[in-house]
Amino acid sequence: MSADRDDAADIAADGGSAPDADAVGIETAAIRLPEYRLSSEAIAEAWGTSHAPGVERKAVAGADEDALTMAVAAAERVLADEADGTTDGDDGTASPGAVDPDRVDLVVTATTTPPMEEGEFTPRLVRALGLPADVATATVGGSTAAGGEALARGLEAAASRTALVVVSDCPAGDPAETDHPMGAGAAAFVLSSDPAVAVGEPAWHVEEYPGIRHRERGAETVDTLDITTYQRTAIRESISAATESLALDADGVLDAESLAAVDAAAVHQPDGSIPYRATGDLPFDPGTVQAGTVADRIGDAGAATVPIGLLAAVADANVESDGAESGDADRRSVAAFFGGGTAVSLACRGTLSVAGVEELDGGESITYDEYLRKRGTIVDGDIAGGGAHVSLPNWQNSLDQRYRLVAGRCPECGGVTFPPTGACRECHERVTFEEFEAPRTGTVRAVTVIGQGGAPPEFAGHQQRDGAYGVAIVDLGAGDDEITLPGQLTDADPNAVEVGDTVTATVRRIYEQEGVPRYGVKFVPEAEAE
Amino acid sequence: MWDDLPLATMRDVYVIGAGQSPFGSFPDETYLSLFETAYENALESVGGELDPDRIDEAFLGTLGVGGRQIGLSSPAVTEHLGLHGVPTTRVENACAASGYSFRSALTAVRAGTADVALAGGYEVMTDTSADQTKWWLGVSGETEWERTSGTTFAGVYAQMASAYLDAYDATVDDLSRVAVKNHGNGAKNPKAHLGFECSLEDARSAPGVADPLNLYHCCPTTDGASAALLASEEVAAEFDGPAVKVAGAGAASGRVGLFQRESLTSIPASVQAGEQAYAEAGVTPDDLDFAEVHDCFAIAELLAYDDLGFCERGEAGRLLREGVVDPDGELPTNTSGGLKSKGHPIGATGTGQVVEAFSQLRGEAHVQVDDPTYGLTHNVGGSGGGVTVHVFERTEVDA
Repeated sequence: MSADRDDAADIAADGGSAPDADAVGIETAAIRLPEYRLSSEAIAEAWGTSHAPGVERKAVAGADEDALTMAVAAAERVLADEADGTTDGDDGTASPGAVDPDRVDLVVTATTTPPMEEGEFTPRLVRALGLPADVATATVGGSTAAGGEALARGLEAAASRTALVVVSDCPAGDPAETDHPMGAGAAAFVLSSDPAVAVGEPAWHVEEYPGIRHRERGAETVDTLDITTYQRTAIRESISAATESLALDADGVLDAESLAAVDAAAVHQPDGSIPYRATGDLPFDPGTVQAGTVADRIGDAGAATVPIGLLAAVADANVESDGAESGDADRRSVAAFFGGGTAVSLACRGTLSVAGVEELDGGESITYDEYLRKRGTIVDGDIAGGGAHVSLPNWQNSLDQRYRLVAGRCPECGGVTFPPTGACRECHERVTFEEFEAPRTGTVRAVTVIGQGGAPPEFAGHQQRDGAYGVAIVDLGAGDDEITLPGQLTDADPNAVEVGDTVTATVRRIYEQEGVPRYGVKFVPEAEAE
Repeated sequence: MWDDLPLATMRDVYVIGAGQSPFGSFPDETYLSLFETAYENALESVGGELDPDRIDEAFLGTLGVGGRQIGLSSPAVTEHLGLHGVPTTRVENACAASGYSFRSALTAVRAGTADVALAGGYEVMTDTSADQTKWWLGVSGETEWERTSGTTFAGVYAQMASAYLDAYDATVDDLSRVAVKNHGNGAKNPKAHLGFECSLEDARSAPGVADPLNLYHCCPTTDGASAALLASEEVAAEFDGPAVKVAGAGAASGRVGLFQRESLTSIPASVQAGEQAYAEAGVTPDDLDFAEVHDCFAIAELLAYDDLGFCERGEAGRLLREGVVDPDGELPTNTSGGLKSKGHPIGATGTGQVVEAFSQLRGEAHVQVDDPTYGLTHNVGGSGGGVTVHVFERTEVDA
């Protein structure tokens, strides 16, 4: 342990921004929100009322997005491309200080909405990100406190290891009521002993509160018995208890100052109103709570709401816009998670640059009808006629291509073949290819739009949800390293895409067969990417 | 490679009969009954009586849409016809299945292992649900990447159309002109599936399928069968009527996935097969009096003009605008109605084209070209994974 401390001290002395030589915390972080937004006004028009207090609009996952794809997209923003040292996030947004994937030795994910109730989640994330196969993993779920539990787990390891913590969620509820505030989003954190934002020891408060937010076994939608005062009290007392004990820690990052010195608080926010009520017993003024509240713009993103709120609170960009100095090393923030009776609070000190923070105020508005389709609420999704059969072992063998665009260079002629199997596409010799990763941004060479009702059976459900979609043949890279592959267009008006347009690869859900979702690259046109 | 073949040692081969069933939607028929009709019409077209016992071998093409009798369907057909014991091979190269079954029969007679060979194809497509049909039509695309990007066959050809219209002086109207011309011809063919005329305005205003292709830029799904009887010169000399010689044959494979090819605006296998067929026949495109080309989608007919040397590359639209490929033009193309109007019963299309070439050279076509000597057939599998080209010549047989 002492050796680790020395390392941390060295890093700090080298100009690291750690406010304390012993500190652990957030080295780099990013937010990823889906492209679409639904206003509460649209919900109120549809239902005559909106059960989403304090939520103006919410983020909506696309028809081919889920907790996994958002997690991949968020994590890509904090990891550097091994080849050229820049991030290869789906929109090319580089996070300063992006981390080499080989450094990551612990991955902790949190979600209440894994694509499968039991099955691979974190291994898929690890594979899609190209992380080392010997990385340690943990997956947390079960309540909206999962994000806090995942961060706590990562912080525990951060003194001696580099932990990637990804929280991604897209909960759903009964369309008539509980679904109204349900949003979506993801946040990724690299935690280490070289933090830009130091994070103190988590404080906990655990108590059984039956009948508050829960989801029955096998159910898709969250529920609550809605015993209003009981529920509010549970949240307020739990959060107060956990948060108050932060201030008791004389060695903590709050320097034992009173909680009144806290600049920003990201508090459990299943809607835009609860965080203000939940902090009624704490000395936070409304501005402090507002600085950590994002539910007003993204809705209730389940386990991911508070992590996203925390990043909004510590983001340089937001601190600057509040008139404070850039990179305020003394900025004090608190994150207070609650779910299923568990409350966990974290104290943070400092700010950092957060990739994707601008997405909180971006996005494309959709109608309520489009929302119901994208979410699959009014689509049966049954596949008639059978899907194209690519066996799962074959699919698994092609994951390097489907996630990372690994192509082959011919040692004889230098020609490029994708996927790197069979004879060289240039010289037709049977060779052993030298593998390389193609860049993720490229050019449309040919494009079509598959009209509504015209999709192959295995894409019929997706088309019901997303309507006509574009399919392009895309060139990635240049000159001798150029690869060509077909891919579906996403987050775009397919009719607006033309030959010559620039597109960027992103990992999305391709289709589901035999009950198992399959993921791979799709392409987002540049004009649509932020 | 192909120009090294010992042509001199191969026997000349003639088509002595060719026939087809009506093409259309016949949910009450089976692949057996449809092929029976085609076979009887082929026998009927022979100038004289051909004893079926003289058929030495049969090659029959089908994709097998619907999955019925997916194994051994061709022996089931020949036994159904009473061709008991005849060696029979099913040939599968998607939409080029019977272009290749014709090539196999040709090879057998050329080599002398058969004096008379039956080539043909069949497909029943309209008796299954729309979803089943979509699934089956997609199975000839590249499965692991092309299909899993969500494309249909129309989608892949539409991608080629997008690249072609971007690269060359051709428009969506030129695609529509393919429909107008081919429907004009098909309207005169009583065996055509969609035997009605369409105007440029009809074709322009059709509903979209896969941008830029609309419904009139796509062939229908069709039931049907076709058959051709190939014979050695010695056998051909026994029969009456103008002799139809197979003057040249070409075939080539290409990458099954469009994305795997160097060019998106050409089908390299068509170029290769065409050059080979021209060389064997000792002709150039200028010598052709008519052609039946593979127009599963309108863009495919434009690509065929370019790839088969009917014009300079990129000039295909001009041939349509100037009427060069109309029945009264310099190179009438798809006088049968083509796949667009006559129909596209996948396995039956290749020998279906041979039926039209045979009729033209015998002077019996519904849209007859004036005194033709040379005609060409061009059959494409999938989006270009396999192509056959055959050049036919009307000639005299030395008895």
